[in-house]
Amino acid sequence: MELAPQSLDVTLVALADPTRRAILQRLSRGDARVTDLAQPFAMSLNAVSKHIRMLERARLVRRRRVGREHVLSLDPRPLRDAGAWIAEQHAAWTARLEALDALLQAEDAAGSPSTPAEGRSP
Amino acid sequence: MTSTAPVVRVTHRFRASAERVFDAWLDPAMARRFLFTTPTGEIVRADIDARVGGTFVLTDRRDGEDVEHTGEYLELDRPRRLAFTFRVPKYSQAEDRVEIEIVPLESGCELTLTHTLAPEAAEWADSAAEGWTGILRGLAKALGEEG
Repeated sequence: MELAPQSLDVTLVALADPTRRAILQRLSRGDARVTDLAQPFAMSLNAVSKHIRMLERARLVRRRRVGREHVLSLDPRPLRDAGAWIAEQHAAWTARLEALDALLQAEDAAGSPSTPAEGRSP
Repeated sequence: MTSTAPVVRVTHRFRASAERVFDAWLDPAMARRFLFTTPTGEIVRADIDARVGGTFVLTDRRDGEDVEHTGEYLELDRPRRLAFTFRVPKYSQAEDRVEIEIVPLESGCELTLTHTLAPEAAEWADSAAEGWTGILRGLAKALGEEG
């Protein structure tokens, strides 16, 4: 596993909120000043700033100062990492189910299914 | 569930009966051969307390490093349904949930596994319209031109 999943948790929590996703979507179209970003949202600048700080902590958003303005830009890397990690999980489960299938088929070939155990109470 | 927590879903059709497939998840001798092991790894511990509220520990030794997989059984309804929590403490404190549905077929069965990542992580439910993978895909697409 390439990604340290601790950082994945942070990414997923950051993405869990619709306002934060909207901010990311806006930034995916280009850099924006904090004040411009806040405009379309029906919340205070302060509330939007909190969301932005969470996105910065998750390293999804970078901030730089241009004169008196703070300009935000998107860093897509954590998104790609999260996507890659989810794809890895998919591949891992697929491999596990195939391994299980192979084990069961090997049992059949050996003519001794280890199971019937109908009475088993889990 | 209308949650949009990130979900991994895999379906597989088995020739073996639903009962045999179900039992394999709870049988340490079987589980250690397919569950949470890696091609280069070896399961050095497989403890399974197969009852609701019971826990499991499967430890995979990879290159001399022990990686513990642990969780608690939430539902055991042989042979159709199995659900457990799932954690890899070494990598994350997040607790995932794995649900397995097994549908008996005329011959064999079909298993659908749903792995929900950190379902408690946050307020996912308020964006039920968007699938999680859709969100990631949409964002990735939006970002595509940024290389």
